[in-house]
Amino acid sequence: MEKSESSESLGSKLSSSRQASIDSLSSSSTSRSDRSFHLRSNTCKSPELRVLGDSNNWADLEEPQLLPNESLKETVKDVTYICPFMGMIRGTLTVTNYRLFFKRVEKDSAFVLDVPLGVISRIEKAGGALSRGEVSYVLVCKDIRNLKFAHKQDTQGRTSVFETVMKLAFPVSHNLQVFAYEYGQIYPENGWKVYDPSAEYKRMGLPNESWRMTRINEHYELCDTYPVMLLVPANIPDEDLKRVATFRAKNRIPVLSWIHPESQATVVRCSQPMVGANGKRSKDDEKYLQAIMDANAQSHKLFIFDARPSVNAVANKTKGGGFESEDAYQNAELVFLDIHNIHVMRESLRKLKEVVYPNIEESHWLSNLESTHWLEHIKLILAGALRIADKVESGKTSVVIHCSDGWDRTAQLTSLAMLMLDGHYRTVRGFQVLIEKEWLTFGHRFQMRIGHGDKNHSDADRSPVFLQFIDCVWQLTRQFPAAFEFNEFFLITILDHLYSCLFGTFLCNSEQQRIKEGLQKKTVSLWSYINSHLEEFLNPLYVNYSHHVLYPVVSMRHLELWVGYYIRWNPRMRLQEPIHHCYKELLLKRAELKKKVEELQRELISRSASSSSERAASPTRSVTPVQTFV
Amino acid sequence: MFSVKPPKPTFRCYLPPQQTGIKKPPLTTPKKLEAKLLPGEIVVNEVNFVRKCIASDTSQQDLWGKLVCTNFKISFITDDVMHHVKFQYKSFLLGEHDIPLTCIEQIVTVNDAKRKQKVLISNQKLKFNPTELIIYCKDFRIVRFRFDEAGPESAKKVCLAIAHYSQPADLQLLFGFEYVARVYYNSGNKVNCVDPGGGGLEKKSLCEQTPLFDKPSDWDREIKRTGASEWRVCSINEGYKISPNLSEYFVVPVSLADQDLRQFSQFFTGFRIPLWCWNHSNGSALVRMASIKDVMQQRKLDQRVCAAITRSHPNRSDVYKSDLDKSLPSIQDIQTAFTKLRQASVIDPFEESEERWLSSIENSRWLEYVRCCLKHAAELVYMLEGKRVSVILQEEEDRDLSCLISSLIQVMLDPHFRSIAGFQSLLQKEWVMAGYRFLDRCNHLKKSDKEESPLFLLFLDCVWQLLVQYPAAFEFTETFLTVLGDSLWLSIFSTFLFNCPQQQDEHCREFVKSRSISCGDEKPLRFPPVWDWSQQFSEKDQALFNNPLYVGKSASCVQNGAVKSFKRTKKNYSCTLRGTSSLKNGLLSEPEFMPRRNSLVLRLKADFSHVRDAPDSPSEQFFCEWFSKPADLQGLLLPQLLPSHIKLWKLYFLRWVPEVQINMGGPVTAFHKMSVLADEIEMLQQRLRQYKGVGSLSAGTPEAHQSRMFFRASNLSDSSPMPEYLTSSFPFSPVGNLCKRSILGTPLSKFLGGTKIWISTETLASEAMA
Repeated sequence: MEKSESSESLGSKLSSSRQASIDSLSSSSTSRSDRSFHLRSNTCKSPELRVLGDSNNWADLEEPQLLPNESLKETVKDVTYICPFMGMIRGTLTVTNYRLFFKRVEKDSAFVLDVPLGVISRIEKAGGALSRGEVSYVLVCKDIRNLKFAHKQDTQGRTSVFETVMKLAFPVSHNLQVFAYEYGQIYPENGWKVYDPSAEYKRMGLPNESWRMTRINEHYELCDTYPVMLLVPANIPDEDLKRVATFRAKNRIPVLSWIHPESQATVVRCSQPMVGANGKRSKDDEKYLQAIMDANAQSHKLFIFDARPSVNAVANKTKGGGFESEDAYQNAELVFLDIHNIHVMRESLRKLKEVVYPNIEESHWLSNLESTHWLEHIKLILAGALRIADKVESGKTSVVIHCSDGWDRTAQLTSLAMLMLDGHYRTVRGFQVLIEKEWLTFGHRFQMRIGHGDKNHSDADRSPVFLQFIDCVWQLTRQFPAAFEFNEFFLITILDHLYSCLFGTFLCNSEQQRIKEGLQKKTVSLWSYINSHLEEFLNPLYVNYSHHVLYPVVSMRHLELWVGYYIRWNPRMRLQEPIHHCYKELLLKRAELKKKVEELQRELISRSASSSSERAASPTRSVTPVQTFV
Repeated sequence: MFSVKPPKPTFRCYLPPQQTGIKKPPLTTPKKLEAKLLPGEIVVNEVNFVRKCIASDTSQQDLWGKLVCTNFKISFITDDVMHHVKFQYKSFLLGEHDIPLTCIEQIVTVNDAKRKQKVLISNQKLKFNPTELIIYCKDFRIVRFRFDEAGPESAKKVCLAIAHYSQPADLQLLFGFEYVARVYYNSGNKVNCVDPGGGGLEKKSLCEQTPLFDKPSDWDREIKRTGASEWRVCSINEGYKISPNLSEYFVVPVSLADQDLRQFSQFFTGFRIPLWCWNHSNGSALVRMASIKDVMQQRKLDQRVCAAITRSHPNRSDVYKSDLDKSLPSIQDIQTAFTKLRQASVIDPFEESEERWLSSIENSRWLEYVRCCLKHAAELVYMLEGKRVSVILQEEEDRDLSCLISSLIQVMLDPHFRSIAGFQSLLQKEWVMAGYRFLDRCNHLKKSDKEESPLFLLFLDCVWQLLVQYPAAFEFTETFLTVLGDSLWLSIFSTFLFNCPQQQDEHCREFVKSRSISCGDEKPLRFPPVWDWSQQFSEKDQALFNNPLYVGKSASCVQNGAVKSFKRTKKNYSCTLRGTSSLKNGLLSEPEFMPRRNSLVLRLKADFSHVRDAPDSPSEQFFCEWFSKPADLQGLLLPQLLPSHIKLWKLYFLRWVPEVQINMGGPVTAFHKMSVLADEIEMLQQRLRQYKGVGSLSAGTPEAHQSRMFFRASNLSDSSPMPEYLTSSFPFSPVGNLCKRSILGTPLSKFLGGTKIWISTETLASEAMA
């Protein structure tokens, strides 16, 4: 609503180009965007013509169709895109405040590169120019590709277009704002309304006699990286919470993420306790965890899952952190899940990119993949989440999960465990809620981990933590092809807009920052876009068995590299004829048959009614309407 | 192999047994535990109070019963109820705990008190009383029995009997001979394709639709079907007068006279005259040929053969010759790869092998060979389709790799071979009749390990890769391919038992003579082919072979009394859903639910050669061009060949590994949903037909809906809930297999000198020698 107000004012400017702007959304980084909107906007009658007409349009298109408030910054002719798959491509490069758009010169060939500036991680002047007087640049991208361009050096000594790109791609480093603040698209759905914390807790039957909602963090005074609304054990007063907060890193006290509808076992998240080298204890923290355990009558045990390798947890003691000793926390059992830190993950992804881009080495594909350890990390994360889900479901035991700060590995573990436990999160909207809740409001530092608009590409705070989570979700969809309402395209779209800076969803580091920035007013939510085009993101094979807990097999035998994401730039790595596609065809066929049967039935009824009145009774018997199937 | 009992218990009703410690044997002697025997099957030896190990970490679920060795199988008979999901699928020939003797790879006996173990070979002595028997099966199962409570002597005798009977000294000792003589000759039954179900009154049974290519008419029909007008059936090998390992009838160029062929034959290895396999509609032919022994004759003969093939081509185009021995791995390489793959899949301890899983799969080289075969076949497809030239596959003996490559080429080029009947006829034509040595390659007689090679399985794996890439292009499912692969180990079918048709004829004649069986009509004893699936499975279970995507797609719609194909709908669909190109970011691959190829991409692709520094080879250009268009599932299919496209066939290789089983998950959950939809489509069509045919609502009772789907749309409820027994191993179950650890038994690794490997073929073999 806030959004629509603000865009109203823009409306006068945009109203004429509304239709075009819908079209041009397809030029978001999303790999296979919105062809259906192209179709909708087209007026040609025959479907064949439509497609043809559209492609012709496209081939004629010198410049990108601009999004609302997108503006052209520079256009340069005679640029060469050095494609690792197709060689040299001459064309025209256009830069806007949102994207880099490259189009091949030859009229009859439609080669288009459409890259949101947000995906660019760094721009480097590359050596080895093609010929004298040419300069070349490499654009290293966050979405597992590199783009290499070359163009003639300007004799007038003007700066290269890539100097311009460098400014535009890293607005934050130049005290400017990312494009999301300017993007003025209006969608029928408002994605900012997707997550309502109290509605979500209410769905879980909360608050109840054991868990209460506290407003202690109303002004982010208790913890500035936590949301306003927190669920804590009912018998712990707010005063105690403050003391517990002093014993937890960044004041991230244990709070409820999920409660089992039957056993009342809970998933609780927090940061590490500030035990330190001297093994400090906190009576309040111990009492607090006891209260969490007591809130679940089914079990007299509490499991604390420390996501880190035990060595790392021990090492944290020197920095004041550490882990719960089983002496201090009676009835609690501590388990280390051996998941490595953000730096290890970043390095693993770097190696993975080397292995998959641009080309795959044919003879050592699997051992090269193994050497990146990427799947091994995925396995450890999934294995940890599985143990948690199993403890909650089978063991009916409450679990407390933390890593160091409780915003990276902890978010991965809680959200994956909840995905396994609760079918609601396997729907499109439920999954959006899950991301909003466990990642965004609980302070996964998206700005730092992704580095939106920041030129400091070697920042040690960057890490593909969220990418790993989405990869894990993809692995689950592979093992349970009918258990998720959304499809692979949905996951890829989320990742593409994680970097694109078109939507406000993944900006900033915490709820507090987002409120302060007024993101809901100034930007569009990714969920607005997705929920307005839901059809594209649905899995036709989805069977809603919401009460079913997913127990994935966490074994290298089943884990696969997500080629549809990591190797999608390689034209030879085509997606294989997807089952979903065939299934949709069958659905259409069924609909047509159903229609025919119904027509025939009607026809026969009327015929038999008119021809013979003595057989009037028979139609009622045999004219039971066609069975309506799923 | 498949359960005899109805698959009642699901894991929902499973409750872990409460008692601790080792389950005790039943107090009373198990009475009436009798093996179910087939005609001609006799019990050789048996032992009571045997424990079959079920779970790897506990002995509580173990089953007590009787272990029986017959002349056909090892059978374990028990009264105990399995508290687990078993096969959703039952075989008429085997019970759930049965292992056919021909399926045994290795027999290991263990005495853990004496810390001894031995690989049993026929006619060897066993110097200790075994406490444990482990059977390694050819289909990757590992089954384990314990004799703690059994009579030591009887246990030993059974083990020796199994060893003896699983290594028959002569082909005619294989159970199939006894069985076929009893079933098909004593009871006066008809040979071939007996259809006890009698289901197909209007429709011919699958088996009847499958030509065996043992008659000239089968070849004639194939010539006509492919439009190979310049080719003729040749019968000079009738009675195997020319070559012992060629079939009696085959197809040759019209321009070669019988006289010439007779003369040529002596120069070819195995007297194998070049054989016609298939004709492209453009006139190019696929021919297979053995090497020419006589170096002096080589050039001349080569020229004669090529000239004749050229003359049979409408455009008189050239002939392209592919030397398979030089371009592909040898059969020994393939066997080595298979052994390594088996080691990684089922023998190496699960947890320890996790870390190195990817590289051990790579090191086995199995996937590399799969890719290599697909690639080579695709190259030759380009010759036939793109260059329109005839292709000769040359191999030393023309009996191994040429079977694989020629059938792969035909699967890619000819949609007929992607139907079940067509695929079966292809195997009959290119494998059975072409003299692929099933007996030696399967090593049914355990005579020579050197001859053993899983070439047929490699072929099935290649087809599986295509099936995964084009899930709606094949009439059959991966279950069909798996069951077909398993049928290799049942010594009952003509298909997989002999080295060549002549061998079958000869042995059958001898056998009939020695047993003085009267076959009537002076026809020799004939084994039934595996294609009569009703020998093994019920109609309902055979429905697991049918691919819902293919069935649904090919379904037609009756309009105005005429059968109308659904092409129009498909076109509509492609326009509404396909939409515009997604050629963004230089990304050529198409979205998941969008067509992968369209006009835009085509244009781009056509430009490839201008752009690339080094132009692609013509075949690569051909592939690029092909991939740039939507695949016509009723036309040519090409495999995608990046290493990342080639997958491990999990259903086949990992179905017995309990740790790998995904409960309520795996591809079968999608298969279930698709089957229900395809079933609905069929039901609607049937209704349409009914209305059309009857013309009035009241006349006639609605005919029963005969579904081709295993999972059916329920008439009563709107949604069909997913059955809880679905697992990634469906319809198989790993329960009772691969019990590598045992609570009772000393872990074998202890007396293998601390090696991690449970037991390796090599170690055991060498120990046995010592």
